[in-house]
Amino acid sequence: MAATLRRLWPLAALLLLVVAVALVASLAPVVIQRRVVEAFILLIAVVALYVFAGNSGVLSFGNVSFMAVGAYVSALLTMKPGAKAVFLPGLPAFLKAAEWPTVGAALAGGLIAAAFGLVVGVPLMRLSGIAASIATFAVLSITYVVLGTWTSVTGGQNSLFGLPIYADLWAVLPWALVTVAAAFLYQETRSGLMLRASREDEVAAEASGIDVHRQRLYAFVLSAFFSGIAGVLYGHFLGVLRVETFYLDMTFLVVAMLVIGGMRSLAGAVLGALVISLLTELLRQLEIGVALGGVTVAAPAGLGDAVLALAMLLIILFRPQGIAAGRELAWPFGRGARPLSTDKASGGEIR
Amino acid sequence: MNTLAQYAVDTVSVGGLYALTALGIGLIFGVMRLINFAHGELITAVGYGLLLLSGVALPVAMAGSLAIAVLLALVMERVAFRPLRGADPETLLIASFAVSFFMQKLLALTVGARAKGIDFLPRLGEPTMVLGLRLQMLQIVTILTSAGLLAALSWFLARTRAGLEMRAAAENFQMARLLGVRANRVIAVAFALSGVLAAAVAFLFVAQSGTLTPRMSLQLVIIAFVGTTIGGLGSLVGAAVGGFLVGAASVILQTVLPPDLREFREAFAFALVILVLLVRPQGLFPARGLKERV
Amino acid sequence: MAGAMTDAPLLAVADLEVRYGAVAALRGVSLHVAPGEFVAVVGPNGAGKSSLMLAIAGAVRPQAGRIEFRGASLLGASLEDIVRRGIALVPEGRHIFGALTVAENLRLGITVRADRRAAEADLDASFRTFPILGERRRQPAGRLSGGEQQQLAIARALLGRPTLLMLDEPSLGLAPAIIDQVYRLLGDIRAQGVAVLMVEQNAARALDAADRTYVLNSGLVRLAGTKQELIGNAAFDAAYFGVAMSGEAPPP
Repeated sequence: MAATLRRLWPLAALLLLVVAVALVASLAPVVIQRRVVEAFILLIAVVALYVFAGNSGVLSFGNVSFMAVGAYVSALLTMKPGAKAVFLPGLPAFLKAAEWPTVGAALAGGLIAAAFGLVVGVPLMRLSGIAASIATFAVLSITYVVLGTWTSVTGGQNSLFGLPIYADLWAVLPWALVTVAAAFLYQETRSGLMLRASREDEVAAEASGIDVHRQRLYAFVLSAFFSGIAGVLYGHFLGVLRVETFYLDMTFLVVAMLVIGGMRSLAGAVLGALVISLLTELLRQLEIGVALGGVTVAAPAGLGDAVLALAMLLIILFRPQGIAAGRELAWPFGRGARPLSTDKASGGEIR
Repeated sequence: MNTLAQYAVDTVSVGGLYALTALGIGLIFGVMRLINFAHGELITAVGYGLLLLSGVALPVAMAGSLAIAVLLALVMERVAFRPLRGADPETLLIASFAVSFFMQKLLALTVGARAKGIDFLPRLGEPTMVLGLRLQMLQIVTILTSAGLLAALSWFLARTRAGLEMRAAAENFQMARLLGVRANRVIAVAFALSGVLAAAVAFLFVAQSGTLTPRMSLQLVIIAFVGTTIGGLGSLVGAAVGGFLVGAASVILQTVLPPDLREFREAFAFALVILVLLVRPQGLFPARGLKERV
Repeated sequence: MAGAMTDAPLLAVADLEVRYGAVAALRGVSLHVAPGEFVAVVGPNGAGKSSLMLAIAGAVRPQAGRIEFRGASLLGASLEDIVRRGIALVPEGRHIFGALTVAENLRLGITVRADRRAAEADLDASFRTFPILGERRRQPAGRLSGGEQQQLAIARALLGRPTLLMLDEPSLGLAPAIIDQVYRLLGDIRAQGVAVLMVEQNAARALDAADRTYVLNSGLVRLAGTKQELIGNAAFDAAYFGVAMSGEAPPP
């Protein structure tokens, strides 16, 4: 019993953390709540990316495209037929008429994103290292171009209005908790462990009989599903969709959060999302202006972005394992943090 | 017939521009196995440099902007990439991404995100008659500059000691060092050269577009990057040819494709990248020694 | 052994430890090379021989121990500096630059030379000393046969006028007749006063050629001595193969 508790503690700690943040936010003004909702949505996206990148060691630049797919699928299924007739006249009839309940549409968004992930993943998971990363970047770009040109379905370059805005704190919180739990449970399964083994040494893993391609595919599809969910929620948070939203800036943000938090542990993903969200919010306040005495002191616009980019660079240079450094949250009573994986210590490579 | 020849010139001109951009990326990858996403920011910086120096005589402004590019490239190398030498390719990729974004955001912070107009060599945009064809001076200049720089770079690599060291380092860095080739110097020279190439691209690009935004080089670099991958990462010939081909293809597809498919041509380019990575990852013109390491 | 130690050693390695993560390649290796001496290091695969070479050359940082060349420590010096101090390494697999011509490969050998004129003269002389290289000077080095590539690698290393030439498995992948050639070459080099430190899996040839041989096994020096001292030494096989002596049939 104690052993199970200890094993589940890292998960419980993270879930408690997220719930705590939600509870605090519920007492705050609506403006703050909205920020927290956005932070939670990004948390889902970052954890989704972690499910693949953290366990396989391959950084995917393409997850934001799954967000896009999820967002647009859910939008098409939930927008009122009247709105669709106006904005998307070219839509096929069955979609035009569709008006699904939000949960169903969200699941559909996630599943279709996952299907997309499967289709893309089958060829891509053969690649390793930066070839894989480059390929995922290509997927991002392809999706961006296709969605941006497929005017009949997405509205193309125009903004798509009329998404029901239901993503408030209590709608998003369950999804966030589910995502974190799923990520944790996955990495504790045999499949997750096999994938992590391949992360350390792909050749050795293959030699031990691990089908690296298949394990990566599983993680990729799971990652795509939750990225899709994040996209769904983001769309129903903003109420408006633009293809531009799901491209380089979002990719940078999600990747930065994961890298800064620490790509190798779930705690890293969660912490990265929360800490960076906090940081960007503070900087955003600075940009708006802070009243000092009778004067409003405001930072120049764009400071937040620049600081985030700098933070990512500094982390890569000085603490490349990120804030969490590959560790999960420690059981506070007794033994110290147990790293889930031992990074290969550099045995003295070239200077 | 006239139109065909004009399209041909346009194709070669755009292809040349992308070849130069791709070379800048390929040079760095050759010696360091680093995809320098921030190469675009070098180009952008030159553009803004020209704006900054627009009060002075043109040659001085151009020389000054060139100096900015080279200096920035060297600083980038020293501060961000040297500490990461020998790191695994994934880390280098993230770092390159981070540097690129940082420079972009820093620029947006300092000069503002809005587009600025710039009047750089506007006369080049004027049409002129060459061999009975109605062309832009800029196209001729682009072709000549691309060809000239390519030739100069080839000469440098083939005939100078620094070039020899660079070629050796690109094939097997460790072995080159074991022969006494100074790593820091080779890499610094590579970055400096990439700065020169970036400046040339910037001059041509800015003369064409007349606008500056912090993100102006994004499109250029993405396409050039596609070209480098298809041509062969790590191979200079591959970079140049790949860049040229992709640039040329984008012009050809623009003219040849029916209007509704035209916008998808970028998607085709990226699909081609994936195909190349799957089927022939070393590219069309593989670089020697990508696997060799002491 | 004492005779080789009358002068201060050219190269002195003491208690060298090299680890890659959790794997220990060298667990406390000591050896020395006297000026002009030909020293071989033999041992089975995985003994740590390559790590030894790389550590001396400065490509790998040891966790503990000392490396001194001409009395000065090599630890912390960069590869490029170590080469300039007079140590040349011909690594395992030769690693010539296949895309460059033979002449260009050789030219890289004079990178460390400060005396340009003499270096150019040496470069030209190489074509005479190694006629094959002279014949093929304009060809891409990748087209050379294994033996020719080995010649090129050695000639290139010699152009730096090293005081100590290190070779990692010079006979690897070469036909016996070619190996003969290589060893003759090494003999000539040695005759010119260049010290040689050679890692070899082919213990028989190494013992023949070298003044002294070290037997390395699992990261430690098990035995050392001249050919006379080692051959017939009951402990030699054990040290080389790492198996107990009594009652075991010698491996094929």
